Amino acid sequence: MKLVLERFAHNALALLAVTTILFFMFRLMPGTPLAAFINENLNADQQQAMLQQFGLDKPLWQQYFIYLGNLLGGQMGLSFFQRRPVTDILLEVLPNSIILTLTSLIIAYVFGVLAGAWLAWKRGSWLERVAVPVVLATRAAPEFWIGMVLLAFLSFNLGWFPSGGASSPGLAYTSNWQRILSLDYVQHLALPVITLALYLQGLPLLLMRSNMLEVMHEEFVTMARMKGLSEWRIVIGHAARNALLPVVTAFALGVGLSMGGNVVIETVFSWPGIGRMLVQAVSVHDYPLAQGAFLMIALVLALMNFVADLLYMVLDPRVSHGRKS
Amino acid sequence: MAERAEPLPARRTWRLSPGVKRLLAMPLRDPFAFAGIVIYLAFALVALSADRLAPVDPMEILFTKAGKVAANMPPSAEFLLGTTNLGRDIYAQLVHGTRSALAVGLSAAVIVATVGTVVGLVSGYFGGWIDALLMRIADMALSLPFLPFVIVLTGFLGAETENIVAAVALLLWPNSARVIRSQVLSLRERAYVEAARVTGANQWRILFVHIAPNILPLSFVYAAIAIGWAIITEASVNFLGFGDPTSVSWGMMLQDAFSSQALSRGQYAWFVPPGLCIILVVVAGFFISRGYEEVFMPRLRGR
Amino acid sequence: MMLAVEDLQIHYATRDGVARAVDGASFVVPEGRIVGLVGESGCGKTTAVRAIMGVLAENGRRAGGKVVFKGTAIDERTTRPLLWREIAYVPQSAMSSLDPVYTVGAQIVEVLVKRGNASRAQAKARAAELFELVGLSDRRLADYPHQFSGGMRQRAAIAMALALEPSLLLADEPVTALDVIVQRQILDMLRALQQRLKLSMVMVTHDISVVAYLCDEVVVMYAGQVVESGPVREVLARPRHPYTMGLRNAFPDLLSDAMELVPIHGSPPDLRAELVGCRFAPRCPFVQPACTSGAITPEVAVNHLTACRRSAEADTLRAAALDPKTWHS
Repeated sequence: MKLVLERFAHNALALLAVTTILFFMFRLMPGTPLAAFINENLNADQQQAMLQQFGLDKPLWQQYFIYLGNLLGGQMGLSFFQRRPVTDILLEVLPNSIILTLTSLIIAYVFGVLAGAWLAWKRGSWLERVAVPVVLATRAAPEFWIGMVLLAFLSFNLGWFPSGGASSPGLAYTSNWQRILSLDYVQHLALPVITLALYLQGLPLLLMRSNMLEVMHEEFVTMARMKGLSEWRIVIGHAARNALLPVVTAFALGVGLSMGGNVVIETVFSWPGIGRMLVQAVSVHDYPLAQGAFLMIALVLALMNFVADLLYMVLDPRVSHGRKS
Repeated sequence: MAERAEPLPARRTWRLSPGVKRLLAMPLRDPFAFAGIVIYLAFALVALSADRLAPVDPMEILFTKAGKVAANMPPSAEFLLGTTNLGRDIYAQLVHGTRSALAVGLSAAVIVATVGTVVGLVSGYFGGWIDALLMRIADMALSLPFLPFVIVLTGFLGAETENIVAAVALLLWPNSARVIRSQVLSLRERAYVEAARVTGANQWRILFVHIAPNILPLSFVYAAIAIGWAIITEASVNFLGFGDPTSVSWGMMLQDAFSSQALSRGQYAWFVPPGLCIILVVVAGFFISRGYEEVFMPRLRGR
Repeated sequence: MMLAVEDLQIHYATRDGVARAVDGASFVVPEGRIVGLVGESGCGKTTAVRAIMGVLAENGRRAGGKVVFKGTAIDERTTRPLLWREIAYVPQSAMSSLDPVYTVGAQIVEVLVKRGNASRAQAKARAAELFELVGLSDRRLADYPHQFSGGMRQRAAIAMALALEPSLLLADEPVTALDVIVQRQILDMLRALQQRLKLSMVMVTHDISVVAYLCDEVVVMYAGQVVESGPVREVLARPRHPYTMGLRNAFPDLLSDAMELVPIHGSPPDLRAELVGCRFAPRCPFVQPACTSGAITPEVAVNHLTACRRSAEADTLRAAALDPKTWHS
């Protein structure tokens, strides 16, 4: 329990640090200090409200605490160009990002773990010799380039998938859930997911493979052999079970990391997620929206780091069950 | 020990420490690392002789003999990879793009390796408050989301290549610093360092003569990894439209192809080669670091 | 005869050539006896017992010789059905030999269910019984290996080895990592269990005092070969090989520490090299020119086997070996 609190505090502090960096970064941007929250696109009432809410006439250090207070209350200002609260805009697109990330990560990790374990088992074969450099190459390719090639070939050339967006124009849904569960949504989701999964599978695959190779040399695996247990039991029950620990942790970390990395994938496929929102906000200098999107990504990252710590504790009895003696 | 006392050498000959020696000999032992180095050298050669390999200005708008803009030409003997929608030679762009890729990659690698090594050495060797402080800063840098941070920074500060390199370096040094620090911690306890300490050698001397040379291979690994990351990041930033549109780079080519509908026209010769070049350079870094890992982390060796 | 090992050859393929880890070793394990397999590390003891179980590292293979279990020659394939049911193993480090992610109880249940065809309920009851047998509370079955102390882990490993009531127990340095008091407790327990369960046992150790304390027979190995073997009383009272004499000087008695400890200088030879003559010759204080050439044929007197050129002078050498000065130089 102490350990849990410790990890929580650690990740919370990291998030606070990121927030602080971000605050000063935006205040030191070109333009007046007010530029971070006020823009001529907003009408006079809105400008006044922002001035009040963020205490923009007060000294910088006071602004900092007001800003933190607002953040805790979920207040991130008004988007210059959409003239709506940033929080509302972000919450609207967040599910799209989460669905994209989770679906591709799950596919990537299931495939990666199985293929990695299999390659470890087949070590030394010609297949392994070819597969490892190929997988390294998928890790080395820029995500957006994989997306471009797939888009050109599978969508424009073969016409198997729609070329972008999250739903076909002209369709109307009664609720967000209905939209997300529709076949149309899944069709739009498929290509970005394939791209992302293709890019992401390398890490769990290589991690699983090297962990397996390491674990297969552990004494307890030899012991399992001496007990005459079946090969299946040895490889799955003992070696893979142990090799899986770091991979599960990597999965949780991967959720946080790829939320940030999705920026390019979402742009390639015009997927209305938080990463694309960030890119758009930055390119039109919509400071409050850019700040908000960045913080949201940082929050998911910190949260997932914490989840990874927890998972590690739960899965590894050496951490979860203390020493008794 | 030699039986008879050898006369002291008049001049101290400079001998390679075992770490450096293994560093230099490694590519010969590991075929992957050898391939990686060959790839690096090949790209360096292309970058150096870009003007000769592709004499056409990559940004020049070309015309056909009929006097029309040579737009969207398919690959041919004249235009090896065809032309862009504005009539620019894609092959020339690809060749000249090597320069900016290597410039971005190498400068980021040098900064990351230098900062990471210095911080790792100081932190691991001296410990105490300076270690605590440096590692907290590293934690902080690591909790920034990578690409979003680079985008925000370059989006607002301008897309000059220096800014991209700076952002990449800012986020990548902690990884190398952490690993080097833990290596220093274990090296510090090694007997020969103890011995040097007892005979009254200066702290800095121990650090730079006994520890630093053994850390060098690790710095090298992280430099190789940073080259790839920097090139991918530069390409991504370019792709998202925050790049410098006047400079020729692989990322700019991909952005150009994407935004001018090369995908729907099926101009594979436009957007496939830059991606393959990026993969080659990044994979070369992986190969080299993998090779070094196998040589320097014996646990993984020979498996 | 429970087990007979005849002219066993185990080769490891390494980057620098073939290492002959076991090079023509022969010994027997009579039914109901404890045989100590003793020698310094790197003498091939562990390799020999692992070869008996057919579990060698990837680069190792049996290059020759026979393993005969209860009168039948066995190879890797025919050994498998016997594993744990007939031949069980107690490891040196139970810490690394137990899977860290399962409770100790679960690992005992696993072997009972998968290899002993027990139902889960039967297996659980039997696991508790086994824990009681080795002096552990059955509540500890629910604990993970890292929650046990070193001595308790070894007890748990012994309980696991006894799970399927094997007839032959191979123990590889089962007490080496423990302090002297716990060592004695575990050895006493092993002795009691061996007698109660009528086990035959091979005890691998580098510590000749453990052999003296526990074993009936002793096999001294050096550089992959057997240099001396016979009944413990006979061999330790009247060693005929200088290596055995040296080992006797190098270890404290488990019960007293009266004698001065004298180490044998040097280390065993590189087994990748071509070795001629007596392999102990480079370290032997009694070496003669004749020792370094030709093969040494073991001599058997009654049931005491010795592979030494000067075994005829054993009595004189033994007297000289008691003097620590003989071993300095």
